[in-house]
Amino acid sequence: MKRLILTLAALLCAPYTAIAAERVELSSDVYVEKISHDANGRKSVVLEKPLKVIPGDRLVFILKYRNVGDQAAENFVVTNPMPSAVAFQETIDGTELVSIDGGESWGRLKDLRVRMGGGYRNAVPEDVTHIRWNIINGISVGSQGKLTFRGVVR
Amino acid sequence: MTSKLKLLVATSVIPLAVLGANPAYAEGTTAGTDIQNDVTVSYSVGGVAQTDETASDTFKVDRKINLTVAETDGITTDVAPGETGAVTTFTVTNTSNEVLDFNVSASQLAGGTAEHGGTDNFDITGLQVFVDSNGNGVYDPGTDTATFIDELAEDASIAVFVVGDIPGAQVTDDVAGVVLTATAREGGTAGGAVGAALTESAGANTTGVETVFADGAGETDGARDAAFSAGDDYTVAAADLAVVKFSTVISDPINGTTNPKAIPGAVIEYCIAVTNAPGSATATGISISDTLPANITYDAGFGVTTNGTYDNVAGTCSAGAGTGTFSGGVVSGTLNDIAGGGNSALVFRATVD
Repeated sequence: MKRLILTLAALLCAPYTAIAAERVELSSDVYVEKISHDANGRKSVVLEKPLKVIPGDRLVFILKYRNVGDQAAENFVVTNPMPSAVAFQETIDGTELVSIDGGESWGRLKDLRVRMGGGYRNAVPEDVTHIRWNIINGISVGSQGKLTFRGVVR
Repeated sequence: MTSKLKLLVATSVIPLAVLGANPAYAEGTTAGTDIQNDVTVSYSVGGVAQTDETASDTFKVDRKINLTVAETDGITTDVAPGETGAVTTFTVTNTSNEVLDFNVSASQLAGGTAEHGGTDNFDITGLQVFVDSNGNGVYDPGTDTATFIDELAEDASIAVFVVGDIPGAQVTDDVAGVVLTATAREGGTAGGAVGAALTESAGANTTGVETVFADGAGETDGARDAAFSAGDDYTVAAADLAVVKFSTVISDPINGTTNPKAIPGAVIEYCIAVTNAPGSATATGISISDTLPANITYDAGFGVTTNGTYDNVAGTCSAGAGTGTFSGGVVSGTLNDIAGGGNSALVFRATVD
């Protein structure tokens, strides 16, 4: 873990020496999660386009990536700052690192603390400012993936 | 704790300034706000860092119309018969995600159970509704004259006063129920007339800002109608006074103070006792006048005392510290306020001619 952070730091600091043609396709989509119950009490969850969105609505963000280049991509890091009007809830895969300080430091949510009065409290999802996935194995040519997280409109 | 954890704890406490910079959306993100999600991918190919890939997605937050109206003090407003300008106070809160105007109106119950359990049996006259223009939470006649709420911010509350007169014929425990209804209207322009009526967006969704009514059902309004209502009531508490007058022979010229008789020359003490029944409103401005009967002479040496006490069990009075007057054959005096269950007495003496 520590080594990974160091690697990332080195990576971020390294000057970009090669500007290549686009090798990775990326998209971000958001949907509103509408939960309804039919006459028999059966619950249905429908993802709708975010046309009618009001505070308190549940949002599902779907990030898709695909390697469209001719070589494997390594050190693959997906970073998503939370929009300020959206409170983070959870990711689907649970493998994310989060930051609660604007991207300065990263960790698992359960390990993070927020200073409160004279002490600390455990960080809660609403504290999250950034989400990051480190896809350590990289992505091979032509392969793709999807990352999903939930938030609530503040 | 591992070194990794220490690092995380140490570094994750710096940034509260950053967190604090996030706006606090108590009642939700303002309508029309764009929510833009940006995602970045960094990666290497063949050990060489590549240009980051970015993608983003934006949508608009729609307008959620919501409000609450609540009676402010949680108890009935005690009033006296004939009282004018009796006030009940409500609080209107804008829980929408936009600044809005609000119409406010009051209606009266026609029978039935009022807010605090009494049965509505009369109507207030001259019912009016005013907004707390100076924001002090107290009705100031002549100052709080606005009749609608202008530009109430998101999450803000304001007091609204229902003001009316109590008919003089009402008696203790009469109840008048009132309902205040606030209706959200378009905001955006300070001053002038109240904003236009709101309409909920119908038909297919668009990418623009739409309007959704999200309010609950109040006292007399339905859910999702951009209005909310709450009840309060007035309860009449009248004073219930009773007066007794009695006399006691204090002394006579033959027996002195031992079993005195009302013979000529005897000193008679008169007591006029006023009692206010338990549970009644405090009686104020009580004045007493009593014409002396013939054949007795006012005892100027003793004078007229007021604010005495009366023992209704023993049937005795004690002179008080206040003073009354005697003029033209009439004894008169003013008593202090008498609370429910209390009493007071006026005492004077005279001599039998």
